[in-house]
Amino acid sequence: MKKTYYLFNPGRLSRKDNTLKFTPVDEDGKEGQPRYLPVENVNDLYVFGSLDANSALYNFLGKQSIAVHFFDYYEHYTGSFMPKDYLLAGKMQIAQTQYYLSAKKRMPLARSFVRGAALNMLKNLQYYNRREKDLNQTIGQIEALMLQIPEYNKIDQLMGLEGNIRQAYYQAFDTIINDFEMGTRTKQPPQNEVNTLISFGNMMCYTACLGQIYHTQLNPTISFLHEPGYRRYSLALDLAEIFKPLLVDRTIFSLLNKRQVKSSDFRHELNRCVLKDSARKEFVKAFEEKLSDTIQHRSLGRSVSYKHLIKLECYKLTKHLLGAEGYVPFKAWW
Amino acid sequence: MYVILVYDIGKRRVTKMLKHCRKYLNWIQNSVFEGEISKARLTEMLDQAYEIMDDEEDSIIVFKSKNKEWLEKEILGFERQSTSNML
Amino acid sequence: MNIIATHINYLHICHRKLWLFVNGINMEHSSDLVYEGKHIGEHSYNQRSPKFREVELEGAKIDFFDPQTKTIHETKKSNAFEKAHVAQVRYYQYLLHHNGVLETRGIIEYPKQRKRIEIEPLNSNDFTEIENWVKAVRAIGNEIEMPNRKDKPSKCKNCSYFDFCWISENE
Repeated sequence: MKKTYYLFNPGRLSRKDNTLKFTPVDEDGKEGQPRYLPVENVNDLYVFGSLDANSALYNFLGKQSIAVHFFDYYEHYTGSFMPKDYLLAGKMQIAQTQYYLSAKKRMPLARSFVRGAALNMLKNLQYYNRREKDLNQTIGQIEALMLQIPEYNKIDQLMGLEGNIRQAYYQAFDTIINDFEMGTRTKQPPQNEVNTLISFGNMMCYTACLGQIYHTQLNPTISFLHEPGYRRYSLALDLAEIFKPLLVDRTIFSLLNKRQVKSSDFRHELNRCVLKDSARKEFVKAFEEKLSDTIQHRSLGRSVSYKHLIKLECYKLTKHLLGAEGYVPFKAWW
Repeated sequence: MYVILVYDIGKRRVTKMLKHCRKYLNWIQNSVFEGEISKARLTEMLDQAYEIMDDEEDSIIVFKSKNKEWLEKEILGFERQSTSNML
Repeated sequence: MNIIATHINYLHICHRKLWLFVNGINMEHSSDLVYEGKHIGEHSYNQRSPKFREVELEGAKIDFFDPQTKTIHETKKSNAFEKAHVAQVRYYQYLLHHNGVLETRGIIEYPKQRKRIEIEPLNSNDFTEIENWVKAVRAIGNEIEMPNRKDKPSKCKNCSYFDFCWISENE
């Protein structure tokens, strides 16, 4: 499978001899040893540092269907260079739009995303519950909230319910995580270490989902749980709901509890907590390892990576939209 | 699969071969490349490499492994270039 | 709908595959198998190329056509779908016929299996059959609902749509 490349250091990316050349450039403008990236093996690029690039490069990336995702100094996702759609299918576009427009068709899908997210949250809680962390109360709370999913017939009600489930879930973080206190979930900006990691992780998950959607016929701007337009690629938000517990939260728990990320990896600024470069790299490394982890898939009968699970979710959604099989959200079974 | 590719190519063709291999694999030191590649891409790469080389004088050797984990890498001295995807 | 040789090929492999292909749900980019299939097509005949012509017709691109013997050469990676390959070459013959090249023959080669199939010129029954294929492709492509997948995943090994068709959450 092709790789994601993460550019942390400032530098210049260029097209050279029909492949990609990255030249690090330091603060004084001094160039370091260039590194050639094998273009045939690049899936997409994540840019965290400052990057110089020209249109010749973007034309080349466009031809190779390589997307570039940008993050700012505070690790916010700022946008993407998306090469033109190469897998457009008229029938699919129409079906996806119809499912969005009809409340009767949209609601079951929206409910599935909430349900899938909740099931994967429960999976995490049950895991730690078996490991001497008493989470029975939260588990019960989430199970009770889940019973209400079928009762809700409006998107904003469902989003509210989703918020309640997540709130209950986040309360368990202080039990699961050993040395850090999370308190309440704060987003804009995140106030402490755990909140900062969650925000950053969720963004990485969103981007990973967008990356997979791009290689399918789904239109990333038409979503079902989130309102289209809430973010540019709101379908990635829908899918990310399902994968955040597995990909992001488990990574955070293990990084903090194994002390791979420590309090010295964060910087407290006025009214916000920021990841230092070291922690950001550590998280991306762990997240990337998680994505390339494989499991033996039950219905496919072979091992697939966590990243591929996202693609498979796109396939299930496509089949649902084309009226073949009803969409059942992915639920971790291990 | 995960491969190590080494070549021994005549002076006049070597730059062309270097550029060709860099599209598919990570250059790690002179005449040596390493990286993850699918079977089909490797076939494509070697096919085109064959067009570049002179098969009476030049050679390419590919060591293949199903998985990167099955390969232990030890570096003595200065690592010319890493294969990391975090730059 | 302009019927191309790939449609005829898929008609003989899987109706769902045909339907997906007609409706633009394409996965070929991610499939190494298809990639390798193309690869064999492109390179195996390199050395023998002078006598062959590339023929482009509406609905088909025949990579290797020998105008002297009026023979279509087709190379395939595996003989698992022989019937589909024969149908594809039959369709080439049909198209060539309608472009004024009559009485063509075909040869399908499977280099990996060291096997070859020779195909005779079309007779009048063949013409009727091919016209029925064309009708069938149109009918399937225009269906509103996606046709069912095959009954067992083992029949779908090596298909680029395998993951698409067989992914499910319910055991």
